[in-house]
Amino acid sequence: MEILIALSRGFQTAGKKTRLLLYLWLVYFLFSLFIAAPLCALLEKDFSRSVLGETIFRGSDLLWIGDLLYQYQNLGPSFPFVLFPLAVAFFALHIFLNGGLIGRLAAEKENVRWPGFLRDAGKYFGRFSRVFFLSLFVYALVFGILGRLISAPFNLWMKNAQTGWGIFWASTLRFLIFLLLFSCLKMFFDYVKIRLVVEDSRKALRTSLSTFRFLKAGFFRAWMLFLLVGLVFLAVTGIYLLIAKGFPKSGTGSLFLAPLWEQTFIAARLWITMLFFSSEYHFLKSRLAHFGNRTIEEK
Amino acid sequence: MIKMPKALVSLISLCLAVRFLGGGQEVPAGTGSTPLKYEIWVELDDQAKILRGREEIVWKNTTSEAVSDMWFHLYWNAFKNEKSALFEESREESLLGIKTEKGGWGWIDLRRIVLADGTDLRPTLEFMTPDEPRHPEDQTVARVRFPAPLQPGEEAHLKIEFESKIPRPVLRTGYYRDSYFIAQWFPKPGVYQEGRGWNCHQYHLNSEFFADFATFIVHITVPARFVVGASGRQVRTVSSQDGKTITTTFVQDRIHDFAWTADPAFIRLERDFIADLEVTPEEYLEVAAKLGLPPESIRLPNIKMILLIRPEHRSQIERHFKALRAAIKYYGLWYGPYPYETITMVDPPFRTESGGMEYPTLFTAGTGIMTDRKVLNPEGVIIHEFGHGYWYGLVANNEFEEAWLDEGINTYSTGKVLAQAYGAGMFSPSVFGFPLAKIFNFPVYYDYELDRLGAILVAERDPITNPSWRFLSRTTYGLNVYQRASACLHTLERLLGENLMLRIMRMFQMRYRFRHPETGDFIAVVNEVSGRDMTWYFDEFFFSTLNFDYGIASFRTNKKKNLARGIFDRNGSKGEITEKDARKPRGEAADRESGEREERQDEMFLTRVVLRRFGEARIGGGFEIRLRVVFEDGTEDFKFWDGQSRWAKFVFERPSPAAVVEIDPERIWLIDSNLANNSRKTKPSRAGIFRLAAKAIFWVQNSLHFLSALS
Repeated sequence: MEILIALSRGFQTAGKKTRLLLYLWLVYFLFSLFIAAPLCALLEKDFSRSVLGETIFRGSDLLWIGDLLYQYQNLGPSFPFVLFPLAVAFFALHIFLNGGLIGRLAAEKENVRWPGFLRDAGKYFGRFSRVFFLSLFVYALVFGILGRLISAPFNLWMKNAQTGWGIFWASTLRFLIFLLLFSCLKMFFDYVKIRLVVEDSRKALRTSLSTFRFLKAGFFRAWMLFLLVGLVFLAVTGIYLLIAKGFPKSGTGSLFLAPLWEQTFIAARLWITMLFFSSEYHFLKSRLAHFGNRTIEEK
Repeated sequence: MIKMPKALVSLISLCLAVRFLGGGQEVPAGTGSTPLKYEIWVELDDQAKILRGREEIVWKNTTSEAVSDMWFHLYWNAFKNEKSALFEESREESLLGIKTEKGGWGWIDLRRIVLADGTDLRPTLEFMTPDEPRHPEDQTVARVRFPAPLQPGEEAHLKIEFESKIPRPVLRTGYYRDSYFIAQWFPKPGVYQEGRGWNCHQYHLNSEFFADFATFIVHITVPARFVVGASGRQVRTVSSQDGKTITTTFVQDRIHDFAWTADPAFIRLERDFIADLEVTPEEYLEVAAKLGLPPESIRLPNIKMILLIRPEHRSQIERHFKALRAAIKYYGLWYGPYPYETITMVDPPFRTESGGMEYPTLFTAGTGIMTDRKVLNPEGVIIHEFGHGYWYGLVANNEFEEAWLDEGINTYSTGKVLAQAYGAGMFSPSVFGFPLAKIFNFPVYYDYELDRLGAILVAERDPITNPSWRFLSRTTYGLNVYQRASACLHTLERLLGENLMLRIMRMFQMRYRFRHPETGDFIAVVNEVSGRDMTWYFDEFFFSTLNFDYGIASFRTNKKKNLARGIFDRNGSKGEITEKDARKPRGEAADRESGEREERQDEMFLTRVVLRRFGEARIGGGFEIRLRVVFEDGTEDFKFWDGQSRWAKFVFERPSPAAVVEIDPERIWLIDSNLANNSRKTKPSRAGIFRLAAKAIFWVQNSLHFLSALS
């Protein structure tokens, strides 16, 4: 019941703060545009005045893809040098966004405004950065050491497989276990960030330890809540794929409909990110209130 | 003179009595007797993973030279240690290197090698390393010396005892648990070529094989629980007295290799290809008309199809047979009837890494536990590997020296058959064996598009006709001999026409069946059938590393200016026409006649197109590049350019501006590395680019969102 209440309140909060979704979508869109712009420029340069460019409209075609690959094959080796700084920039940006996102979600009664969003983003950037580095360390530790232990029986299973099915099931189960393990860690660091916001704490490590104690008391409930929101994500993805498969492959209608549907899906994904945080926030709040933590009440 | 043992004579006679031709078809030129005969007894030691064999070889010197020695391939010594040519070459391919686990090495030992009269040749045995660069410790080629040179027409009768350790799966041979795929496993003589001696190359990473056509009689003994499949026709199976082993005998004439497989898990199925059910009279008429042959001369024989499939792929049995029927039908109709009685299709034993490989009358396919019908797998591999029965099996080129002759021609043929029988196929990435095509719509493509992509990426790396082991890398070897050769053949087809190309391919197949043609022979057939000298085409695209790229360098279309300024002689005096005069209303600038001329000029548009040869490759043989100009009023104009110089300028004066200029509008030159610059439009169209950009942004957004889970 506690889980469902938290989820329901999470839905309400995420539903009310639609402006946050707009900010998120806009930032994602602009960042993606920045990354995709060189490709678009190349396409424009090479194909906009070429008859071959008309085939692009009909979808992927190895003739124009071949032209593109041939002309820009020398760029391949430089990709890692471009992708790495982009990834670093994106992580920095996302840490910044998370501050604004959680800060505004936690300010339940306040309307979402750009200045407030930026203020929170800036305020929590340093703390969330420390959590990020801590999380990278923990991910490396868990997946590097524990991951090998977990993999060992599956590797053995695959090694002794008699058919392709053995490999399929071993790989799939191992992947699922890793996914569940990742969900636990992700959930843990979500709560660390939320606590840093609701307690307005600067101590990332200390908050992590208190979060660990907090989750120890109600781990399975918290995890079930996390997985429930994960199911919402799966359902949304399923609906997206189902409808996207039925889209016409050509014609003017498809020109606008498909991108519109794709952006709707991206918005839904971002909204689910909000739902994760908001439901976790309500769960944390109810649990801490239940145990008489005054910090929440004061907030 | 070396005598043939009586037992071998009788067995070979028995074998020769076996009917191997479909009967009644075109008889190819190469129907003479084979110079080589094998009888092999081999026993599989399932526990020790060892083959113990005896081999009797009869080799006839059909040349006019005395031959003093005999060279053998001992292919499995390539897996003996890391000093073999194959392993040393593999190390240079950092990403594609071969890995062998402890205990996974393989080797072959010649325990005894004697002539029929008992002369022991073993003391004369030495390993040879004929290829450059040298790998001095390679043991994949050996030779023995005869006590006296073998004179023309004489036969050498050899008895060999060998023992082979079966490797863990490597290069499509080996074992995994109790599943075996056994290829290149017996001592196999090279090919003696008059004037050149023994053609017997070492086993290289980037090469396949070359051997003489022979008669094979092979007795395979395995534990009784195994299901065995092999090249040729299964003539009998005998159980041992204690019932623990079975010996199966396979016989086949006129093949140049012999492979076999054994696995207790195989399901063995037999079906018939019944030509009358597969090919309609109308299809015979249509193909015969294209080939210029009487319909009765292209009739197909019935063939026994054998499938060895693993139980987990049981649901794909019909897909396998359907693809094989399509392959037998179209290869048969187009290139000539399949001449053997049987074809064995093997779903490769689990983890033997033996999928997608051809052997005479037997090939391995390969599939997954889950498939999607939109993805033409296993169809593509079945058609390709069956096709090798024609290009490699029957027309048996030297794969070491000119791999394109089978791989390139067969890739081209596969694309044609696949397109005819199935249409375009879909790409299918998979996750843990699950084909994502079940969820997502991936691009669909025809093989020739994929071939062209590979072709343009390696055009300037290596010539297609390089010896296999001398390519820059495994990638350039593969892309050149498969994709680029195929793309060049598709281009040739577009140049000469589909019917003519079909006649060329059939002529090459039928003329060189059971023979070892070279690139020159193919060129000669192309020239003969087409009636033109196409040697330039092969010089430019097969023997060279030239990039082919013709394109539009510049294109302008605008109103023709009234170029009337300056000093003009008029009525005996000089008068100046100024800018102002030139702009006067039509007819006022000069006399009525010139005014009318200007009026016409004012309504005219000049379109200037500069074509360029951006690449080094150039067209020849009297072929030309076609330029099409489409004007805004819907009219069209065409020009031709021989393409020899670096550029050519064309000017069109028409009452309408041009909308589009395009060279090679029929897309004959498929190997052009830049098709985008083949056309230019005055007005850009960005719908496709918008759509693609939107898709790119969407995928970046998705990727970023996944990445965001870490922060």
